[in-house]
Amino acid sequence: MSPEIEQFLSGMKKTIEEVVMPNLTDRFAQEQAGIVAASLGFLGLIQDKAFHYELLENQEYKRILTDVCELLNNTFSAPESIVETTSKVTEHFVTDKVDDPTHLRPYKFIRGSNEVMKELLCEFIQQQPEMSAELRAAFEALMKPFFKSIELRERSWVKALGFDPEAEQQADIADLLYKDGFLNTDKP
Amino acid sequence: MNNYTPNLAERAQPSEQWIEQIRARYPVEKAIDEVFTRKLHNRLKPVEHTMDFSKLQERLQRFLKDETGQADIKAENLKRLPGGASKEQFTFDLTWQPKPGKQETQHLMIRMDPTESIVETHRLRECQVLRAMSGEVPVPQVLWIDPLGEKLGHPALIANFLEGTVQPEQPEDSEKMSGIGMYFNPELRASLSQQFVDILAKIHSIDGSTKDLSTFDIPQSNSTQANEWAIGLWERAWNEDTLSAHPVMERAVLWLKENMPEVGEPVIVHGDYRTGNFMYTDDLEINAIFDWELAYYGDYHDDLAWASLSLFGGSDEEGKPLSSSLMPQEDFLARYERASGNKVDMEKLFYFHVFSYYKIAVIAAATSVRVAYSRRTHLDAMMNFASGLGSVAISELNRMLDEATS
Repeated sequence: MSPEIEQFLSGMKKTIEEVVMPNLTDRFAQEQAGIVAASLGFLGLIQDKAFHYELLENQEYKRILTDVCELLNNTFSAPESIVETTSKVTEHFVTDKVDDPTHLRPYKFIRGSNEVMKELLCEFIQQQPEMSAELRAAFEALMKPFFKSIELRERSWVKALGFDPEAEQQADIADLLYKDGFLNTDKP
Repeated sequence: MNNYTPNLAERAQPSEQWIEQIRARYPVEKAIDEVFTRKLHNRLKPVEHTMDFSKLQERLQRFLKDETGQADIKAENLKRLPGGASKEQFTFDLTWQPKPGKQETQHLMIRMDPTESIVETHRLRECQVLRAMSGEVPVPQVLWIDPLGEKLGHPALIANFLEGTVQPEQPEDSEKMSGIGMYFNPELRASLSQQFVDILAKIHSIDGSTKDLSTFDIPQSNSTQANEWAIGLWERAWNEDTLSAHPVMERAVLWLKENMPEVGEPVIVHGDYRTGNFMYTDDLEINAIFDWELAYYGDYHDDLAWASLSLFGGSDEEGKPLSSSLMPQEDFLARYERASGNKVDMEKLFYFHVFSYYKIAVIAAATSVRVAYSRRTHLDAMMNFASGLGSVAISELNRMLDEATS
């Protein structure tokens, strides 16, 4: 593949910044062209990591849903609606098996599977008021490190967009995604 | 682009049944239900937003002739204004007779809904609150309104154009969006801080019952109803717009609902009171408060939390964070208590800081991305870019929820 995507993006960014923008006289057009150039710069930084970002999420959501289902299956106090969501998880894991070589799947398959898993996890979160106090406490304890992992990953992903007052303190996304040269699938 | 799940397919092409389920699920004011439901019905129309405003001049001329009854009225020099994230904004010159026999040319502005906005709001409601505030606090004067866009193509209001400064010159290394992390030098801070507080206190003291605010529902006193409606609005927006479910957002809204405080006496809340939404003159007088589209009857702590949110505020020369880039939070709150006579409850302030981050996340991580996905705004590139603000807000939300539940 040549030129690489990064090269295309970099060429477009340079053209917008050095050819188009200096010749724009309308303030609205200047403002929008600046955003396009900044978006191209951002895409240049992250484009080669998008697949692994989704792949890592795929691993993490499979793990957390497995842990949640295990917690709920081991309790007698899980209400019926929660059992229904557990069944949906089992059903989804037929389509995208926990131990499948998901890294061989196309990007859109992984992205779609992740979206289904996110919705299922959100259903469990919504159902917390129906859980017993003991079950809810166990569920929350399970979720806390998972929430933290999302927080760190998403903030790191967007740090180059310039909105984060703490951008300098955020890890580079590559440092979160990879460990020893491989995707970092350690449990958060 | 893909609708990976049935929920995502419904959001993109909502069925009547789904719309009715959504309407039943979230308690909101009648006017909010009206605009949100209209948005969902509009989503069925395969329309991209057009940047071409060449027909607007003619429509404007016709609209103003009808509104004023003056055949020789002349609308000229129609120009698009930069910025205006949620609404398209234009300026033009109108030659007409505001009073019989007195012809003059006025510089006016149009504030118009794009095909789908990052916050879906009600133009008549915005017009009513602006008129209610006129003479009480500095606001632009609304002259005409096309609430449903039947004449101008999109819902719009026309107001006088005010001269002044919204964003002072920023340090060279600063590349911030307007209204976020802005810098005011010590002289500006000294002049503007007390005015900023006094105007907010004044807004909260206005008796809405003496004004025409017919599009506002009034919640019960000493109840959680105001907050149920406010949360209902933002939770509904999230569920109508998001392109991706988010566990932290579910965690947040559950916490907000389970910890909802009562509102003693609901006041008029501006809803977006912060740096970037006021303007000042060369004499350093605040001459306009903008962006009233999110105003509602609720808890004054909501405005205090929004105005003191660390994500919006810049810092002083020593790096100390400032509420709305103007003054330290403790100073802001103390001044507000003195100016308004309202007591600041720090637990409620914490609650509304959480709510503020939730609102930013809905706007920037869900609705902005949705309108760019559908190509229905005048700022598609910017709306994708703004998703970064949403991720920062979600991260802040999670930190606060960890603190609240530890």
